[in-house]
Amino acid sequence: MKKSLFSDQVKKQLIPWLLPILILIIWQLLSSKGILSTKILPVPSDVVMAGVELIRSGELFQHLLISFKRAIIGFLIGGSIGLFLGLINGLFPIADRIFDTTIQMVRNIPHLAMIPLVILWFGIGEEAKVFLVAAGVLFPIYVNTLHGIRSVDQGLIEMGRVYGLRSWLLFWQVVLPGALPSILVGVRYALGIMWLTLIVAETISADSGIGYMAMNAREFMQTDVVLLSILLYALFGKIADSMAKWLERKCLNWNPNYQNL
Amino acid sequence: MESPTFGTYLQINGVEKHFGNQHVLRGIDLEVQPGEFVAIIGRSGCGKSTLLRLIAGLDEPTAGEIKANSELMKGLNPEVRIMFQDARLLPWKRVIQNVAIGMKKEDLPKAELALKQVGLIDRAKEWPHVLSGGQKQRVALARALASKPRLLLLDEPLGALDALTRIEMQRLIERLWKEQGFTALLITHDVEEAVAMADRVVLIEDGKIAMDTPIKFPRPRQRGNAAFAALVEKILRRVMGEEENTPAVYARQST
Ligand SMILES: Nc1ncnc2c1ncn2[C@@H]1O[C@H](COP(=O)(O)OP(=O)(O)OP(=O)(O)O)[C@@H](O)[C@H]1O
Ligand SMILES: [Mg+2]
Repeated sequence: MKKSLFSDQVKKQLIPWLLPILILIIWQLLSSKGILSTKILPVPSDVVMAGVELIRSGELFQHLLISFKRAIIGFLIGGSIGLFLGLINGLFPIADRIFDTTIQMVRNIPHLAMIPLVILWFGIGEEAKVFLVAAGVLFPIYVNTLHGIRSVDQGLIEMGRVYGLRSWLLFWQVVLPGALPSILVGVRYALGIMWLTLIVAETISADSGIGYMAMNAREFMQTDVVLLSILLYALFGKIADSMAKWLERKCLNWNPNYQNL
Repeated sequence: MESPTFGTYLQINGVEKHFGNQHVLRGIDLEVQPGEFVAIIGRSGCGKSTLLRLIAGLDEPTAGEIKANSELMKGLNPEVRIMFQDARLLPWKRVIQNVAIGMKKEDLPKAELALKQVGLIDRAKEWPHVLSGGQKQRVALARALASKPRLLLLDEPLGALDALTRIEMQRLIERLWKEQGFTALLITHDVEEAVAMADRVVLIEDGKIAMDTPIKFPRPRQRGNAAFAALVEKILRRVMGEEENTPAVYARQST
């Protein structure tokens, strides 16, 4: 009885992986038989080998580190600015009057369209990538913070005032927690934009990072390294998303909607 | 029992409140003695909540003045607590933290005591969303009383509860009111509730106090008794604006 339950569990866990494994096997067979040209798609085993080789030379780690650094610094800068602007515009109508229209206009410029300008300003230095990432994450966080603050239940704010909460305490105990679910939606969305921006920026203008590694490999027709880079981006996207989910579960543990994720 | 003058002495003189050209309150005069329990009734939209918000200081009257303990009110009145129809608990705070809202850390025992008084101390560590509607209102009551207010405003706090829980809550509020001696203003749609709990029932109609009836029945009040029922019927008829001789049964059914 117990044993069948266990194997049921294992089966359930395994089923989603069957299809990817099958595809990998077929792919491996097709490539190694020469039916699929390695110029189009490398043999899966070659991708693994390329990865092992890059790890051994230390090159992979170097590129990873620099990409991470750009992503995190850009995210922190853009995120803080977005959060700050969202908070003051949400809290003070006068700030909203002054800033919102301008922010909405700038928001409508696709930040990737600024790449040529950014290259002119910063060359292909670090600032260019950090700037683009920051510009990309700023707006989703701004918009969701503002929306979060505006949609805090007025009844709760009124209650807080009657129960003696003034300015700072009211913000800390009522307004911010009320806006947090929306802010975290912004964070999650911004994490996606962060990777996307970094991929594009590193692919177009860089001399280091995962995107550069991919472009460099393309010049030497190393499809295995190109594919490896793409897989790495996918992996980091997934990790970032899991982190955002974890943050939501941690910060919103009071909310029944987030308890069983 | 607290000293007889613990509760707020409330004076409302010629208070008006307009929203644009809608004149909701057109000259309210009301005096409430310290420790008195006054019930306010009136049709939906007659301005009961509006009056309560003015007394709490959440809003300012267009004209007239409100005095608490003979002093003109300015801004939010710190000795007032409101109990709302919806409990308005903060979903991100545990029950005990909700009760202790706005209190200093060292006052936590007061919050615990209040929670004990409403019989929910064993739920102190739970999130509000797991509580039933009636339990949420009891937590809200504990929160209102934890800081020992001198004036408690109740805006239909029992409207959403089932009949049984309602009567339980009425008794609880009455008991705590007797123990603590605060002044209480209760808005209600339920005339029977008003007569069961209040020292006085006040009717707001056309923006003015249209009726002010003292309730002299001794406490604890027996609802079944004929005099009680007759008074409820009489007030109900007055609220409905019916002639004295119309049978109130019809009035009730037509609502
Ligand atoms: N902030 C406001 N702006 C405009 N009109 C308002 C505002 N607040 C209340 N009113 C109006 O004032 C009138 C009285 O509202 P109020 O909430 O005081 O009624 P009430 O007697 O409490 O009704 P109910 O028994 O249904 O709760 C209503 O017509 C309402 O539309
Ligand atoms: Mg109301």
